[in-house]
Order: sequence, then C-alpha cells, then structure tokens
Amino acid sequence: MTTPIVRASNLHKRYGKGSVALDGASFTIGTGRIVGLMGPNGAGKTTALKALLGLTPFEGELTVLGLDPRRERDALMQDVCFIADVAVLPKWLRVSQALDYVAAVHPRFDRSRAETVLGKTEIRQRSKVGELSKGMITQLHLALIMAIDAKLLVLDEPTIGLDLLYRRSFYEMLLNDYFDHERTILVTTHQVEEVENLLTDVLLINHGRIVLDSSIEAIATRYVQLITSGESVPAARALRPIHEREVFGRTVFIYEDQAASELDGLGELRTPSVSDLFVAKMSGGVQ
Amino acid sequence: MNAKSFIMLLRRETWEHRSLVWVPLVVAALIVVSAILSTNVTNSIEIRFDGEDAKFFARLAVDAAKQSQLFAVWMSSLILPLIVVGLTVLYFYLLDALHAERKDRSILFWQSMPVSDTATVLSKAVTALVVVPVWIWLLSLAMGLLVFVVVALKVGGTPLAPLGNFHVGTWFALQATLLLNLLIAALWYAPIAAWLLLVSAWAKRAPFLWAVLPPALLALVEEIIFDTNHAAQLFVYRLTGFFKSLFGVGEVDGRGSAEHIRESIRNADLSALPLLGELHLYTGLAVAAVLLYGAIRFRRWRGDA
Repeated sequence: MTTPIVRASNLHKRYGKGSVALDGASFTIGTGRIVGLMGPNGAGKTTALKALLGLTPFEGELTVLGLDPRRERDALMQDVCFIADVAVLPKWLRVSQALDYVAAVHPRFDRSRAETVLGKTEIRQRSKVGELSKGMITQLHLALIMAIDAKLLVLDEPTIGLDLLYRRSFYEMLLNDYFDHERTILVTTHQVEEVENLLTDVLLINHGRIVLDSSIEAIATRYVQLITSGESVPAARALRPIHEREVFGRTVFIYEDQAASELDGLGELRTPSVSDLFVAKMSGGVQ
Repeated sequence: MNAKSFIMLLRRETWEHRSLVWVPLVVAALIVVSAILSTNVTNSIEIRFDGEDAKFFARLAVDAAKQSQLFAVWMSSLILPLIVVGLTVLYFYLLDALHAERKDRSILFWQSMPVSDTATVLSKAVTALVVVPVWIWLLSLAMGLLVFVVVALKVGGTPLAPLGNFHVGTWFALQATLLLNLLIAALWYAPIAAWLLLVSAWAKRAPFLWAVLPPALLALVEEIIFDTNHAAQLFVYRLTGFFKSLFGVGEVDGRGSAEHIRESIRNADLSALPLLGELHLYTGLAVAAVLLYGAIRFRRWRGDA
C-alpha cells in the first residue's frame, strides 16, 4: 500500500434530529488509486465526500493530504479538485470567462490544456453555460478540472442525468487524458457497472458505515462466486454464503473468506464482479 | 490569494451582476443626451434658495470666476441621480451576492477553487463599497465634462457666456472631494452592506424580506415593550447620517440651516472629512467587521443542505 492520501477514522455526522449520515465510517485511500465510493441512495456517500472537502462539519478524525479539512480547507483546495454534481456551473458564465477565472485563481491550472480538451468538443468559447446542454456543461467542467494539476480529484455522481455517449466519453477522457498513477481519484456513484472496470479500489458504504474496503485484486482472494443448480444447492447453502440469488434456474452464491477447496465440485467458481458484491453487501445476507 | 486573483474575483462580480456596470452608465448617458436636447438653457436654468426665487446666475453675473465655480458645483450635483440608481442596484446586488450561488448550486463550483470564503465575501463587499462608487465617480466625471461642453456651447454669445469658462483647478478639486466623499460614504454604509451580505449568506429564501424584517421587528418590539425608539433612531441615523453630516440637514443650529448649505456651496466645500472624526463611523466599522465575519462563517457551511 502506498502512502495514504486520505485517512478517516470513526466519522460521525447527523443531520438535524435522527437522520444519521455517517455512523463510524473509517477508511484510508492510497496515493495513485482510483477509488469508487459506492452505496445506495442515502448511504452517506455525499456526506463522506463533503467531509473530505471541508464542506460539512462532522465528528471523528480525518486528514486529507495531511490536512484537516475542517480547519485547513483553504490550503487543501490548492491540491484537491472536485466536481460536485453536473450543471453546477452558473448559467451566466461564459466559457471564456470560466477559463479566465480558473487561470487567475488556480496556480496549478494549465489553460492551454483546457483549451485543447475543449477544442475536441462542440463547445464554443463565446457560449454561456446556460446555452450548453447538460452533457456539454459536464464536458466543460471536466475540461477545467483536468487542466488542474491536483493530487486528489473527487467526483460526486459526475455523470448523473447524462446520456450513455456522454457518460462513456466522460470516463474515457478521465482515464486517457488525466489519470497518471500519481494522482488519486475518488468517485461516488450508484451506477456501479459504469465504473467498476476502471477502479483499483472499492469502498462500499451503507447506513453511514463502510461495509467493504478492498482493492480489486484483493476481492479475488476474499470473495468467490459459485454458480450451481440441483442437488448441490443445499450443500452450497450450508457453507454460509453471504448472498444467494436465482438466475435462469441456476443459483448464484457469494462467499466471503471461504476456502475454495470446500466449494470445489459444487459448481462453477468465479470472482464476483463489483456489482455482484454491491448487491450482496447491500441486501444484507441471504434472501 | 494574490492581487491578480482578487482582481479576478472583482471582475467575476461584474460578469454576474452586469447591472452594476450598465445601469449607472445608461443613466449618465441619458443625462448627457437630455443636456444636448434641452433648448433655451438661458431661460431654464434657475435655482431657488429659501423661496427667494432669485435668478441664480443673473444675480452672480458680476463675478465670472465665482460664477464658474458655482457652475462646477451645480455640475457635480449631476452625480446624485447616479448615486440614487447606484444605491438601488447595490441593494439588490448585496442581497443576491451570496444567495444566488446557493440557489443555483454554483457555490459547489466556486468552493472547488482555492479561493477562501473570506476572499469571496470580501470581494463582494469591495465591489459594493469601492468598485461601484469609483465607477459612478468616473461616469460622473465624464458626464460632467460632456454636459459642461454642451452647456458652454449653448451659452456662448449670451450674457451667460462666462459660465463656459472652465476652471481646471476648481473642477478637479471638486472631483477629488466627490471621490473622497464616496469613499467616506462607503465607510459609513459598510455596516449596512455587511448586514445585507450576512442576510444573503444566511437566508434560505426571501432575503429581501429578511433584510428588512428583523430591524423593523426589533424597533416595533422596543416600541411596544419599553415605549422607546432607540433602535429605530439608530437605524434611521445610520441610513441618513452621512447626508446629515454632509449638509447638516434637519438640524436647527448653524450647520443644519439653509444658510449653511448655501455657504458650503458658495465655498465649494462639500467635504465629508469631518465625518472621520465621528465615533459613530468607527463603531459602524466594528459592527461591519462582525457582520462580515458572520457572512464568511455562513458561507462556509450554508451550502451544506
């Protein structure tokens, strides 16, 4: 494991009375990783990100790049970038003004790089954000953020509401033109299938707690999926799978920390996908 | 945050709130156009004092230098319409400045940049208290010169021709006084600007209501419970104090009389410098600092909802 860029321990946060957003969440994020923070709606994803970015008060210990986001947010924002949501660029802003603005306030912004990226799109510099489509606004935002040499990039549901073409090109741009193993990306989404192939690490969060914190490689050693049918099913069930479901008449079990030798001969074994694990962890046990 | 970044924050304000720039500009242009279109200047220029109905310029025609000086003073009063529209757009600007960004959620973009909440809030206060007043002053300077040229051309060859004499020193001394007054007014009104920014940063909706309601309620409650009106007096004093101090309007002694105003104008002495000696200016600044600090704190966490 490389040096952690984020260390969070026992984060707590409640909104108003009762509604608990973070309930003892602890995790670390290593430098140069692409981490997916995933969970169902209301699981605490956005609150966790807001805590990282110093946008919400919380209890617990948290350092990002060695800084406390609550007290040292101004210093932190030199090295951290985020796209909070699509379409948060204000409607009155012109593309050229956005470039001027970021160039003036961000010491690590490379304007020509942003212009190159924008040149590949339909976006004109004279246009106002209000005249652009949702997909184009996201492209513009990404072009601005990608031209910033930040150590940590945080993306909160960056493609929500976009059509498939824009979603695909968003992640392609991110991987091909931005990510370079020195940078760290933290992305939240509830569309797991969309990101699972680009992640190096997975953080699953539910009810404000981290229920899975693993690298993609480690998933293969800890989790196994068994696909079986017929008389093998009771035997497979007896080995205490964490999840079970029916697919086309066959039964699919997922096991955690279960020796593969015990499962041998019961059916077809493979490594579960992140989506499979997500479903297993979120539905909480055998259904 | 260096000077270059801060200047960009100020430019950003003029991008979002373009009315700050063009509303005073349009009013200045209208004044110049109406000066050009007006006919019969010699008959229409008349200023009344104390109901004397004196033909202002005719009476003073004896002293050409004095006359031009007076004329310059009168020209400078052209800035008043600009100040009135300026205050109006600033009122709406300040209430919108920290509210609109939460309403359209663009605060999440602004906060993703290495710009502190302090720098952001200060840039809005500086826009209202320095940038817009200086812009209005520049407009009045250009507008005054244009109107002066128009009037000089129109009075040429009439008994009022000496009005067209341009007294450079008087003119610029007046402009300097005006600029100084605008900046002193900014100090005087800083607590009001800071209050509006605080409301803008705090109110979830209807900032226009929240700006007026608490002071009004406070005054009303005081009136009902204690049968006094200190709060109301304090608010009114803060709103009108600057002009009171400038002209002494509404006071009975020497400084408040029409005679005093006339003296001030005659001596081209409209400086608000004495206000710098008033304790109330400084208590106001202290209040402004506290309110701005509140606005900065609110901006930090208020987007979190």
